[in-house]
Amino acid sequence: MSISENLYKHAGLVFPAGAVVLALVFAGQIDPYLAFVATSWVIFGLLGLSLDVVWGRGGLLSLGQTAFYGLGGYFGSVVAINLAPATGNSLIWALPAGAAFGALAAAALGYVIFFARMGPLQSTILSYTFTLLLWSVTQTFKLDVGEASIGGDNGMSNIPGIVLGFGEDAEPLGPNAAFAAAIVIAALLYFFTRWLMRGTFGRIVDCIRIDAEKTELLGYDVRKYQLLNFAYSGALAGLAGALFGLWANYLNPSIFSVQEALLVPIYVLVGGLGTLSGAFLGALAIGALSFFLGGGAVGGQTTLILGGVLILLVLFLQNGILGGLGNLWRKSLSDPNEAARNAGAVKIDSTVLGEILQDAAKDAGPAKNMGTDEAFKQFGGVIPVNKVTQTFTPGKPYSLIGPNGAGKSSFLKTCVGMYKPEGGTVTLGHDDITHAPIFDRVRKGMGVKNQKPQVFGELTVADNLWTAAFARTHDTDKAEEVAAKILSMLGLEGQSGVQASALSHGQQQWLDIGMVLCLAPRVVLLDEPAAGMTNEETRELSSLVRTLAKHTTVVVVEHDMEFVRTLEGHVTVLHQGEVFAEGDIETLRADDRVLDIYLGRSEHV
Amino acid sequence: MELDFLATVLLSSLSSASILLIATIGLAVVFGLMGVINLAHGEFLMIGAYTALTVTQAGVPYILSIPIAVAVTMVIGAIVELLIINRLYGRLFDTMLATWGLSIVFYQLAVLIFGTVTPGIGMPQFSIAVGEYSLAGYPLLMIGVAAAMLIFVYLLMTKSVYGMKARASIQVPHMAQAIGIESSRTNMLTFSVGCGLAGFAGAVLLPIVPATPSMGFAFVIKAFLTVVVAGPVTLTGSAITALGLGGGASVTASFMTSVVGDVFFFVITALLLWLYPMGISAKWRRKL
Amino acid sequence: MKKHLTTSMIAVAAALSAQAALAEIKIGAIFDLTGGLNIYGIQQDNALDLAVESINAGGGVLGEQVEVVSYDSQSELSKYTQYANTSVLRDGISAMFAGLTSSSREAIRPIFRRANIPYFYSSLYEGGACDRQTFVTGSSASQQLQPLVEWAVEEYGPRVYIMAPDYNFGTISAHWINEYAEANGGEVVGEDFLALTVTDYAPTIQKIQQSRPDFVVALPVGANQTGFLEQFAAAGLKDSIGVVSSNYGSGNQQVVVSPEAGEGLIASQGYFMQVDNPANAEFVEMWTAKYGNDTPIVSGAVDVWNAVHVWAAAVEEAGSADPEAVITALESGITFDAPNGTVTMEPGSHHLRQNIYIARGDDRHGFEIVETFEDVAPTYENEMCDLLASPNLAEHFTPESN
Repeated sequence: MSISENLYKHAGLVFPAGAVVLALVFAGQIDPYLAFVATSWVIFGLLGLSLDVVWGRGGLLSLGQTAFYGLGGYFGSVVAINLAPATGNSLIWALPAGAAFGALAAAALGYVIFFARMGPLQSTILSYTFTLLLWSVTQTFKLDVGEASIGGDNGMSNIPGIVLGFGEDAEPLGPNAAFAAAIVIAALLYFFTRWLMRGTFGRIVDCIRIDAEKTELLGYDVRKYQLLNFAYSGALAGLAGALFGLWANYLNPSIFSVQEALLVPIYVLVGGLGTLSGAFLGALAIGALSFFLGGGAVGGQTTLILGGVLILLVLFLQNGILGGLGNLWRKSLSDPNEAARNAGAVKIDSTVLGEILQDAAKDAGPAKNMGTDEAFKQFGGVIPVNKVTQTFTPGKPYSLIGPNGAGKSSFLKTCVGMYKPEGGTVTLGHDDITHAPIFDRVRKGMGVKNQKPQVFGELTVADNLWTAAFARTHDTDKAEEVAAKILSMLGLEGQSGVQASALSHGQQQWLDIGMVLCLAPRVVLLDEPAAGMTNEETRELSSLVRTLAKHTTVVVVEHDMEFVRTLEGHVTVLHQGEVFAEGDIETLRADDRVLDIYLGRSEHV
Repeated sequence: MELDFLATVLLSSLSSASILLIATIGLAVVFGLMGVINLAHGEFLMIGAYTALTVTQAGVPYILSIPIAVAVTMVIGAIVELLIINRLYGRLFDTMLATWGLSIVFYQLAVLIFGTVTPGIGMPQFSIAVGEYSLAGYPLLMIGVAAAMLIFVYLLMTKSVYGMKARASIQVPHMAQAIGIESSRTNMLTFSVGCGLAGFAGAVLLPIVPATPSMGFAFVIKAFLTVVVAGPVTLTGSAITALGLGGGASVTASFMTSVVGDVFFFVITALLLWLYPMGISAKWRRKL
Repeated sequence: MKKHLTTSMIAVAAALSAQAALAEIKIGAIFDLTGGLNIYGIQQDNALDLAVESINAGGGVLGEQVEVVSYDSQSELSKYTQYANTSVLRDGISAMFAGLTSSSREAIRPIFRRANIPYFYSSLYEGGACDRQTFVTGSSASQQLQPLVEWAVEEYGPRVYIMAPDYNFGTISAHWINEYAEANGGEVVGEDFLALTVTDYAPTIQKIQQSRPDFVVALPVGANQTGFLEQFAAAGLKDSIGVVSSNYGSGNQQVVVSPEAGEGLIASQGYFMQVDNPANAEFVEMWTAKYGNDTPIVSGAVDVWNAVHVWAAAVEEAGSADPEAVITALESGITFDAPNGTVTMEPGSHHLRQNIYIARGDDRHGFEIVETFEDVAPTYENEMCDLLASPNLAEHFTPESN
């Protein structure tokens, strides 16, 4: 690996570390007034970081970050006003209190958003409403807590400064030292956040952003991760707010205003969405812009300029400064996805597959039956699943066939939990799973492969498999082991470092199947797995499905009659949401009624 | 409680709900037909109000200033669509951010051009007596205006060629393209119509809400919430939501305080979103 | 840039070390020249410039010219703290004139207290600000409301309805209206506190009709709330119910409302442009010569004018612009012949004793003065806040918290 490649890989560590050292050197030198103002840029950078965690990584545009920031600020300051005079050091009181309160507020809001499974637009608007509601409530909110006095729109003053020394007569830091302290705090939080986001937690948060449905189909409780991530971003924002309180010595409801809320996404966009360090760069750039424009004729138009900047950013600089630079740099490096082009056709070795499946049975127990009893699903006047009763057992693959609109996919979605049935039950082994959330069904042994390949395009092939394996094993090393086995079975070892999005359509299908196998499923549901595959690939798939059926229960929804024939299994024909005929393929092929509905002939239509 | 007081409360709450609906319809049309949330909607309202005000001050009768305001906002809307919205099609949150920036730009420009003090045009001095109570007539007139706007938009969408094209391009985009509907042209017109409706709202509400650069903020927050709670069936959904939320908040304010009325609005909004995460009309079968 | 930094560092060094060694006397100003509050801010800043100009034209203070360092807070609170710190850390000012809203005052008060620099706040407000560095030249709520309520109960009758914004100015004013109504034999028959974002006044107007008051004390803020006055008039209630206000006119609302709605409204303020005395005639002449006569002069502008002159008189008396000496001099009962009559800085409370005028709106967007209450003391502040006896007070007194 060249120096440039190495540096690129660790850019998020090396450059911020350099910037911190440089900033600390400057902190001692610069004009105290500039140091004072620059401290606020660092604090805004932290606030931006909190948004980047939830938006850039988590995928939710939260307009509630200033709410957590303000709440953390108020709460942290109240604690600091009461406790800091006795001990000196104000940071040990304000920062943890602010972070805790910010996290709590975010968790409460996040619970409503994620557990109601709100749409993205609804989530964003609700977070915005939360901010505006706080703005209007705090105008009149008055409360005395010990020495601290929250005075409605008059705000809260007498907040102690940034005090590091201990003891009753410790003095607040001067502007330069306070600047240095803020830099150190921000640096610690940035490096911690980066570590968190590069670890398992961050990996899963990334997966949720890329494809929340697939993440849940791997058995992750998506809501829990989203909630935790949101609470963490609330903690960051709350801590930033507490630091802001100490810096300004004064807080007021305007912290919840629209103007404040507007700035946060601007910081993140200027720096680069999802880069974490970009938020600081954005805050620095915007802060410096409005500082050097100053007051007067031009400076008075700061808001106008910021509004324009936001429009231009969205239109022309989607990736921000860091994203743009990163793209330029990457072009000069060798392409890690090059290996994707060298991949050969996939050949599944049934013996290897058999061994893997036996191992899986050792870990996850014997195959389970899946059944539905009078399952019923209705959309307005359309009934895609009409009292279907079926039992699926291991041994031979089951195929569901039928003309377009027969209700095959709807039936499968009802089993998976994407559709909630209005009547009847769905069982998995001995469990009634009719009302179980998707991830719970997966944990009980259901493995699902949807029609389109669902892979995490930004992750490498190896990471895709690892994420799937980790969902079951909850053990880093074991997940590594399982993923390696599946990778070699698929023959994609040469492509392990390639981004999944660089693979061909067929290869993505195989990778998706590999991810399902990582889960060691006891029941496998495949929705049109052969769609878009070459003849050769279809043959491999058929052999895979047959081997799979020897060890687990397999249900395939399929259009391709030829493929269904090669499976040599049990076939169910669905028509207008109901079971129309059952048997093996040859019998059904000879059945006139089945041909009628396939060809649209009138008698049975 | 006396009957005449109750009647008064009901009547004025209906007028409050109508005012909210008037301010919301343009937003609902753009969201429903383009899937775009225009955060600068309030500023289009403001532009409409200032246009009507300026024209009235120049001597044009107030009633004639309303179509002028509509024309001006439609033109600005078309330009905005061409320069910004057009390039962000299908990127909901980017559109929101860009129009947010736009709203700030418009606001600041209004401060620059008009300053912060501008004479109002006064409210027409007629009132209606209900028992011992007396109500200003003009706000009550808004009930009729809201109804007329709803009917107009409904007819525009169902009876006009443009409306059919617009609905076709949102419901089956490739089919619409295949039969030769230029969706970019339709979108430009839709956005422009939405802005024109905002301009109409600003102008027609001018006697009630004096023109100020910040007037947009006061209105649009509730308008956004109305549209989002309404969900995909924007027109009917918004009408029902505006009636329920706006009317409910106003009734609450009549018996308690305006602050409680506001809290009512926000709490019910959150509750509805909890119960209907994709909006109340997510499972309705009608489409408009 | 480097040169700029160096000079400012020298300035800071000079300010921090010597603070009093001034070649010329620098004062600071932070007002909202842009943004939603600039209807007040521009006039406040204009008044400051005019006052300094007139002082400099007369030879300055102690023979030194006065220099103004002016900042635009853009109607944003964060800008106030930023520029207040700038003026202290970098500019080395010897007095500060700033602020309009109560929150802006509360945001920067601690900064000047720490730096021990006299800070003049010049706007009508809810009252109760108290520390040794703060001097208030606007009228406080109790100061304005006492004469207003007394006058209105006599004029209209005893039944009072209060319509106030739901934040400090509104709730504290409501407290005083209750107290003064009772003292004058009136009674409060209803109160309605409105959120700042309210644009729909129908519920309030119903509640007013239900309570059948003789007059309404309306304390609307912001341009949106002039909607209340329009709707009140349009409902035809103005003939049977009086409307009085202690802040109507302070932002030239009489220009915004239509003549139908504005005629007959009663306002009480420390200053109206129509005040008839030689000092005001001279002031108005100077003002129109420089700024024209497009918009009427608001009371906040005169409050700033008075603040600068009171400060200048204190510097003369102290014989130095040194902040500590000036504060001491300001506590000696300085009087000034102001456009709104003779005013006196109360030594204990740091508030201004001044005339309160009651005026009636006419049908030409103007006022006529109907009664003058002379030399009204800031009673509440004098009672609560005695900085001569306890100079270390740093409080914001509110009547509820007693």
